Amino acid sequence: MDRRMKGIKEQTYYEVLEVSRTATAKEIQRAYEHAKETFHADSLAIYSLFSEKEVKEIRETIDEAYRILMDEALRRSYDQSHFQRVDGRPPEEPSEAQEVSGEKSVSLSFTGLSFSAERELYRGKALKRVRERMGVEPQAICKETKISIRTLEWIEEEAFDKLPPLVYLKGFLKSYARSLGLDPQKVMEEYIDFMEESRKK
Amino acid sequence: MIWTIGGGKGGSGKSFITANVGICLAKLGIRVVLIDADLGGANLHTFLGISPPGLSLSDFIKKRVSHLREVLIPTAVPNLQLLTGAEDLLNAVDAKSVQKQKMVRSIRSLNGDTALVDLGAGNSLSVLDFFLMSDGGILVVTPEPTSIENSYRFLKSAFYRRLKQSVSSSSVKALIDDAMDRKNEMGIQNPHDLIRAVSRIDEGDAQRMIEEVETFHPNLILNQVRSKKDIEIGFSIRSASLKYFGMHLHYLGYVVYDQEVNQSVRRRRPLVLENPRSRAAQCVMEIASKLAKSHKMAV
Repeated sequence: MDRRMKGIKEQTYYEVLEVSRTATAKEIQRAYEHAKETFHADSLAIYSLFSEKEVKEIRETIDEAYRILMDEALRRSYDQSHFQRVDGRPPEEPSEAQEVSGEKSVSLSFTGLSFSAERELYRGKALKRVRERMGVEPQAICKETKISIRTLEWIEEEAFDKLPPLVYLKGFLKSYARSLGLDPQKVMEEYIDFMEESRKK
Repeated sequence: MIWTIGGGKGGSGKSFITANVGICLAKLGIRVVLIDADLGGANLHTFLGISPPGLSLSDFIKKRVSHLREVLIPTAVPNLQLLTGAEDLLNAVDAKSVQKQKMVRSIRSLNGDTALVDLGAGNSLSVLDFFLMSDGGILVVTPEPTSIENSYRFLKSAFYRRLKQSVSSSSVKALIDDAMDRKNEMGIQNPHDLIRAVSRIDEGDAQRMIEEVETFHPNLILNQVRSKKDIEIGFSIRSASLKYFGMHLHYLGYVVYDQEVNQSVRRRRPLVLENPRSRAAQCVMEIASKLAKSHKMAV
């Protein structure tokens, strides 16, 4: 059956997230953010189109696809089991004949976050987890964003009393989000909200 | 090329976009015919600042004139002409498929490079057929649940009608009709389920349906957006359509909400002429330049 006419459970994880087989961690992260936004309970884009059951199934598959593709070892194992190799090299596009439904139960040693249907808020620890899952070192972020290593650590550790004034912090958060392929405005707003709530407590 | 602008909901801005995109294309040197086929209220002439025209398509259908070009109305914009009264054809009870195809051929034979047809918010079979017969169908949607719901309803109707036209077996045609109702007895919930069900009846028809899906690429314009989040809804609609229909919806662009639009409509002066530097006019120009590129590629 045609690639586009597959049900969600029959699509490869790359198709589920609408990324290419050679997608980088940053591209997968961005695609995941987009997919979560699209199939969020309050999303206008799915209004009247899908049943609740269908949305639930799609969300679960998106989370699973993200979990596998963001882990280097799991992704390699998934690729090996799903895409036939020609001359020892993986094909550019997934083979039409191969389906993933039978492979999703494969138990692998993923030790990261639990992926709830609802997206976790962008707090320091969540940003750190995203960065680590993408295999990006703090130094690489600092080089790209010009944020000092100490400030980056304080942001991730949620050491609010040590952070720079709000006007600078907002800029740092947006730059950090951009470097991870996240929505800068959303990251900044959620982080600041969380920080202010914590301070009140 | 014939572009049809439809779907969505009354008031989503189809006529505004048709008129203003048409002007932009004409200014880019493309000969454009704007065709008003809005069953709900044909008033494209008002968006162009023209008084209700005396000649219309009815004069051609009733053979009061011998050629369609004789009912074309010139506008103040070089390269831009207007044809009104196409709603009469869509509204006609006896508008058979042959007549519709004849009309499409007549439009193609006009002395123009591009025709933009404002279909209005209708969902009738004639409207769907014109949408499907054109070279590119464009949905104009606002980021509101009512508009999105109506657009999906329109898209589903057009999608299933296209699939139905592609198959030969009468039992498969009946199955497609049944699948339109989500409470159908076969448990068909989406196009994917439908194709699976069809392949059990007629593998050839199932294959033809898949090929139809592959070549069906409607376009989307998001109008009256007020935030970045609104703009992203267009990308999400594209993704949702891919997951649901398996088809690639092309996000042509967006037009920001701008008070200048209302002002221009009140003054009966097209925005892209009255205030080309306004934010909404800039968005319209960007969309028009994408259509112009498609036109060049087609040529």
